[in-house]
Amino acid sequence: MKLRKILTHVEETLTEGGRAVTPAARVAVVAAVLDNPWAGQGFVEDLTPGIDAVADELGALLAKRVATALGTPIEAYGKAAIVGINGEIEHGSALIHTLQFGDHFRAIASATTLLPAVEKRAVAGAGFDIPLKHITDMKQRSHHQTIEVSFADAPHSDEILVALAAASQGRPQQRLRVFGTDFGADAAAAS
Amino acid sequence: MEPARTMKGQAMAPSASYEGFSPALLRHGDPTSIEAQWGLRKLVVEQTETLRDDGTPVERPILHITASAVVKNPWIGRGTSSELVVSPQHIAARLSRLLADRILVLTHGPQAIEAFGKGAIIGEAGELEHGAAIMHTPYFASHLRTFFDGSAVISFSDTRGAPGEPLTIPLCEKQTGIHRDHYQSVRVRIPDAPLPDEIVLIAAISTGPRPFPRVGDRTTDLPLDTSLMNGVFE
Repeated sequence: MKLRKILTHVEETLTEGGRAVTPAARVAVVAAVLDNPWAGQGFVEDLTPGIDAVADELGALLAKRVATALGTPIEAYGKAAIVGINGEIEHGSALIHTLQFGDHFRAIASATTLLPAVEKRAVAGAGFDIPLKHITDMKQRSHHQTIEVSFADAPHSDEILVALAAASQGRPQQRLRVFGTDFGADAAAAS
Repeated sequence: MEPARTMKGQAMAPSASYEGFSPALLRHGDPTSIEAQWGLRKLVVEQTETLRDDGTPVERPILHITASAVVKNPWIGRGTSSELVVSPQHIAARLSRLLADRILVLTHGPQAIEAFGKGAIIGEAGELEHGAAIMHTPYFASHLRTFFDGSAVISFSDTRGAPGEPLTIPLCEKQTGIHRDHYQSVRVRIPDAPLPDEIVLIAAISTGPRPFPRVGDRTTDLPLDTSLMNGVFE
């Protein structure tokens, strides 16, 4: 794994809708910028050797870093792969859609659910949105949220940017009905 | 032990020790706090750790760190002759501490900081002068310089724009300001700030020079060879 940069982004939201958010809602993103393992090789049919060479180490590095950057227990999480413009989106998907990558994050977060993800091909500096969902219950509506980031100078054309995102809580001022209760009054009346 | 600080008058020297250092607690839940009164909505910290450049590993990883605060602009609609000297003193001092803390905790104190800069992005309903009122006051800049243990004038940039407007901030070496190896820039972009009635205030640092500086300095520049100028300016 050839890393060029490691990028960290931490947001604390103190106010939303004009009301204080206490404690402040924290979201952390850590991204690694690495050489695309399949750069310059044309169409590679079997991506397994490249995955085996990178995904495990990359997943361990990012999981540790993003947990440290967040600095609180993780309640929601997500992941991203942004492929430089010479690569295939499949190259990014290859690195993040494997248990070798994601299990490190699940272990550190005490999580059980699949990680929601964004995968795309883009130029350096492009913005991307990482979806986050609750770490043990993907139906927990209060924790559906998105963080947008962009990093200048990454990824280069033959690189891949791989990121993990973690949140300390649900959306600031979340106040939607719990999943399954949208038709609560009607359903109760009908039953 | 926390570094010594003051909110009024001359900035105090930070403690030499950063053992057990922890950032100032956010007091936004208290309606009488400076954070609440100035509508501090968001703090964003971004770090770039450069390990290699152009394929070659750097001798030591170089950190670029920016810390940004999003606050309400209280001067909107007050006109271009409104007072801007006394009113921003509290928020300027408070932001200098909140932003410096978030950087110092990552650099484990000021020793590792070699270059610094500052910036402001003003929401579209405000004036550039409103950002300057916080950024260029001694309550912000002098404190920041002290917290980072520097002595140079802090280089800066500013702009006005919609949420997501990027700002590139030039950094300069923190003691002399003119060390050429340390001329470099960092980019800040906060997707949902500043709203029209907000200001983003930014502190920025680097823990090193450009990855492979090799253009010398004003002390090593060769004398100008005027023969090379023949025809150049004609």
